[in-house]
Amino acid sequence: MNAGCYVRRVRHTVTQRPPVSRAGVLCLLMAREGKTAQGALTRQPVPRPDGDRPLPSSDEPVSYTYTTDLPTIRAVVHRYAIQAGLTEARAIDLTLAVSEVAANTVKHAKSPGSLKIWYDAKEIVCQIHDEGIITDPLAGRRQPSLDASGGHGLWIVNQVCDQVEILSDETGTTIRLHMTLPPA
Amino acid sequence: MDLLTVSVTARESAGEPYTLVEIAGEADVTNTDELRRLLDEEVSQQPHTLVIDLSGLRFMDSSALHALLRVNRSLDRQGGVLALVSPQAAVAKILRLTTADRLIPVFDSVAEAAAG
Repeated sequence: MNAGCYVRRVRHTVTQRPPVSRAGVLCLLMAREGKTAQGALTRQPVPRPDGDRPLPSSDEPVSYTYTTDLPTIRAVVHRYAIQAGLTEARAIDLTLAVSEVAANTVKHAKSPGSLKIWYDAKEIVCQIHDEGIITDPLAGRRQPSLDASGGHGLWIVNQVCDQVEILSDETGTTIRLHMTLPPA
Repeated sequence: MDLLTVSVTARESAGEPYTLVEIAGEADVTNTDELRRLLDEEVSQQPHTLVIDLSGLRFMDSSALHALLRVNRSLDRQGGVLALVSPQAAVAKILRLTTADRLIPVFDSVAEAAAG
């Protein structure tokens, strides 16, 4: 088997293992259970960072490039999260998640990262891209011990976001963080 | 404006000395090395109680959290105690998510923390 796509529920149950759709690409996808209008629990469609699922709104995304200026990145994300309609607590979650991903750029990537933000009436999406490479297919999926010297970042990201997509190959890593907005 | 400021004072509570460290600003991977160095210096003084006031800290990422966990381990080994005070929402969230708040006691005030 080459690089696999694992579809998992947030509560760490493997529910489906779809066929690999793109060779050489390490693809980690997760879908959090979401409620439909009828109130039944369904698994949300699993998007791919390379464009299977439309991004919110037809507007151009907000776009930033960063090297080490994480406070600015956090301020931008928080501002758009509130503007999009997230509650303060969930805006804090998204800000924390983006900061953790961007921190990985600072730690591991040798070049700047880029942040894009989209939102519409239903969700806000933050996409972080850098030239770092994630090789562990379970990165962020296991809770690290408090004695561990690292590994909390992506785990936290998976805990606070509604949906996390990670696409990593030899050219770099793209991570998309989705947060569902409360009904207006 | 400094992203992160750390100030240290020696204090007393009911005749017992303790060290109060106030961390303010935003602590992340870009200043963790400096934070760790400053905290290590205090740990090396072998305080019985080290109180870290987080009320001025707007943000903390997992790198900074590791620095606090490291202080906790070091103090444990030398028979000291670490206590945290008044984390703001974002900081409280990461402490709770990682269950660090079950490992390190968190208090509402410096006085309570110093009294243990």
